[in-house]
Amino acid sequence: MLAQQLVNGLTLGAVYTLIALSFSLVMGILGVLNLAITELFMLGGYFGFTVIMAHLPLPLALAAGMAGAALVAIVIEKLGYQPFRTAPVVTPMLSTLGFSIILQNVVTNVWGSDPLQLADEVLTQRYTLGGVSVSAMQLTVMGATIVLVAALAFVVQRTSMGRALRAVAENRDVARLLGVSASRITLIAFMLSGALAGAAGVLIGLHYAAITPYIGVEIGLKAIAVMVIGGTTRIWGALIAGPLIGVLEVMTVAYGGSQVRDFVVYGFMILILLLRPQGLLGGSRSDQGQRV
Amino acid sequence: MTSHWSKALWAAGLGATLAVAVALPAGAQTAEIALGAIVPSSGPFAEWGRANTVTLQLLEKQVNDGGGINGAKLHIVILDDATKPAQATNNLRKLSGDDHVLAVAGPLTSSAAEVTFPVANEMKTVATSQASSKPGVAKLNRPWAFRNTIDEGVLGRTAVPYFKKTFSIKTVAIIFDAKDATAAAVGGRIMPALMKENEIEVVNTDPLSFNTGDLDVSAQVTKMKALNPDGVVVSADYSQAVTVLREMKRQGMIKPVVGSTQLISSAILKAAPEIPVIAPATFYATMKGDKPEKFVAELQPLLRKTAGLPPEIEPSMYDANIYEIASIYIAAIKASGATGKPEDLDADRTKIRDYMAKLEGFPGLGGPIGFNDDGDAIKAFYVLQGQNGAWDSKVRGCSAAPGHPGC
Amino acid sequence: MMSTYYAGLLADVGILLLGALSVYIILATGQLSLGNAGFMGIGAYITSYLTVIAGVPVTLALVIAAVAAGAIGVVVGFPALRLKGIYLAMATLGFGEMVRSFFLNLGAMGGSEGFHGMHHISLGYIWSWAAAILLLIVILERSRVWLDMRAVRDDETAAGLVGLNATTIKVGAFGFGAAVAAISGGLFAHHHVYIEPGNFSFERSIDFVLAVILGGSTVGPGALVGAALLVMLPEYLRFLAEWRFAAFGALLVAMLLLRRQGLLDRATFRAFASRRAA
Repeated sequence: MLAQQLVNGLTLGAVYTLIALSFSLVMGILGVLNLAITELFMLGGYFGFTVIMAHLPLPLALAAGMAGAALVAIVIEKLGYQPFRTAPVVTPMLSTLGFSIILQNVVTNVWGSDPLQLADEVLTQRYTLGGVSVSAMQLTVMGATIVLVAALAFVVQRTSMGRALRAVAENRDVARLLGVSASRITLIAFMLSGALAGAAGVLIGLHYAAITPYIGVEIGLKAIAVMVIGGTTRIWGALIAGPLIGVLEVMTVAYGGSQVRDFVVYGFMILILLLRPQGLLGGSRSDQGQRV
Repeated sequence: MTSHWSKALWAAGLGATLAVAVALPAGAQTAEIALGAIVPSSGPFAEWGRANTVTLQLLEKQVNDGGGINGAKLHIVILDDATKPAQATNNLRKLSGDDHVLAVAGPLTSSAAEVTFPVANEMKTVATSQASSKPGVAKLNRPWAFRNTIDEGVLGRTAVPYFKKTFSIKTVAIIFDAKDATAAAVGGRIMPALMKENEIEVVNTDPLSFNTGDLDVSAQVTKMKALNPDGVVVSADYSQAVTVLREMKRQGMIKPVVGSTQLISSAILKAAPEIPVIAPATFYATMKGDKPEKFVAELQPLLRKTAGLPPEIEPSMYDANIYEIASIYIAAIKASGATGKPEDLDADRTKIRDYMAKLEGFPGLGGPIGFNDDGDAIKAFYVLQGQNGAWDSKVRGCSAAPGHPGC
Repeated sequence: MMSTYYAGLLADVGILLLGALSVYIILATGQLSLGNAGFMGIGAYITSYLTVIAGVPVTLALVIAAVAAGAIGVVVGFPALRLKGIYLAMATLGFGEMVRSFFLNLGAMGGSEGFHGMHHISLGYIWSWAAAILLLIVILERSRVWLDMRAVRDDETAAGLVGLNATTIKVGAFGFGAAVAAISGGLFAHHHVYIEPGNFSFERSIDFVLAVILGGSTVGPGALVGAALLVMLPEYLRFLAEWRFAAFGALLVAMLLLRRQGLLDRATFRAFASRRAA
């Protein structure tokens, strides 16, 4: 059973990694907690389901989810972040909350509050290796996570756009002095994080094959914990922290009690915040947030 | 130009005055009887609230087309509690204090009922829940609180022996939603006791649970699978139970499942059609009989036409329950001679309460209805088996109580 | 004679006001707490235990609960010193979730099945507490204490150089805020006469913050305006039926866009106050 639980933990970890990454893209560069990301994740899932239920192929579903979520992310950036650039950080956070309320309501009205289920699941072939059973969809989720993280890391570390992103994260004013269009970069950050959340929604939605307008809520808070544990500004941090927390959670359920699961996860997050606030993979301690 | 406009204005003004003149005395003559309802039209149970609304509107139309209640027109004021208990309490205050309703149908969830029933007692207005089944909620709030549902413990007493016999169950694992009060009560207390009564061993020594909203229950299901029970108790609302059943299917754990009324839905039949699901219900859409078939035939097309509801929707147990509640109120008003006049408000409300406390053999959709001393319904129920996309009725039971006639 | 519907709404406003004030107090020292629902829950459960099981009169129970929660707030305040900005916010979020999980597992107080038995308190009683604490804060705002808190918020290093003990001030604010949130919880428990862990979730913590930010984050009475707004607005939007919450979200964003310091700020408050005096 231990090996199977590890696989469960890694799959859950992939979910956390993708959403944590979406949070940290905006958090690391702009210092803002975008509470609408969990709803962009949910929205991506619904777009993906709509495509799959129309018997169109998986890559199209992925594209639809990413594009749809990225578009909504642009709206949120224009109305929910741009106007509050100079305001204390709590204000844009609350305005993204407003957007998440709107999104939940709209999705409930369009698709209903009951679970939307896939009649035929996607990629259901199962592979068994020494008592451990894993499905093709699960492998796709884990594989896609690694690919997306690597792609993001490449963009951030090796491309000029990535350099611009890091420059704005470091010091917005200096970056502008050096010719970086800070507002364009901000928009790109939001779009990327939206697309990532949307991709997560499609992949994860298809794996679990049943979604409701509220799937983002519970998982979002844990993803924030994962982001903190990995290090809010480190992309690879999310890749390590996600599976770590996923496995921790699964093991708590398997060997401890499923009741104390939340206690353990948030307790661990607080411990990390107190002992090593820059996160497991974080850099120097000066990576601290600005005044609230 | 001006003459056209001024002529039009004169005509409009005259028309309006005439309309008012005609309407006023007519308004003064038509008496109105108001009933209230509290349903969750937004939030995670939005579908139930919206379906309930359509059901009540159907009843209102049926009653008014049939001449109203002793000539007075029926008006059902429906308020949304957004699945937030605090809003439900304020809704009751508004319905009772401002809208002067004679009785209230709702609230739906047990969490809302727990805080709204005390207010019903404070406002001396009957409130009857259409879905709350957490044990003891009405009992703690007599005499003004009622529930047109059956305590899960009573239902389980018939469902579990059927489950045991049909699938030769000697061992079970119990998994429940720890964040949902009703599911936790059933999964943590009631089912373990029922298992013991039926000599079924519970193989998981520590409780197996998850939280409402969790997408991933793979760890819990893997643990259950390793224990290899004959059957599984899933105590959760069906939106969550769907997640558990799908995970069981994914991991190849095809074992029969038993649960509470919370499982009853069409959604759960789609989750894992090969897994048999046993759950009790007081009504289901394919029920046979004059009354239920007529009800479904009238309600289903209306539901399917409503924006925001899925096209394959069927009338649910909660629609049937709220229809019965409102019908009971109407019967109470007719039988006890409640007038609906403002000066008789307190007396009318008391009459309704007394009528319900003594109620026996009211013709409900699934059989006769009465209320026991705890305020819960005495009515027939059915143990349903859901498999391969359909519910099948297997056993008929009755929640009869000592000192009251049966079904 | 007030309609009981409005009485019910006013009770909700009073309870939310106290929760909002608990966030406001802590925010005044530059710390954002997203976990005050945890302190509210602690207050609710302790007060309920005292009145139902130990037979203590409700006023005394509230005081005891406030002191206990305050102590826990101080304990939380110390490690909080190491964190700033959004990191502190996230730690408090984690704290709030841990408290909720704790009560979910506390069988002695009902766990997820909730706890009953409290007796009902009147609207007047709720507002006696709410008004008293609001008044206390308005008075404190004009005193040296608040000046010190603002100094710490604006520049901790400079405040230290001037001789202020930032530690005492920041930790003290946590304790004070926790105590006020506990009173909100105790009043909530005795107004609804039933509590369950789900009442004290992240959503509640966010409501407190929302009330402060919308109503006015720079003056105490801003919390009152925000609380009233958050309770009344969903009621007035009922005519929008199933689009009620989308409209609420949109209004939220609009309000922040139009007036980000909140509806009430120091200038408006002074104008209002001086008009009353004249």
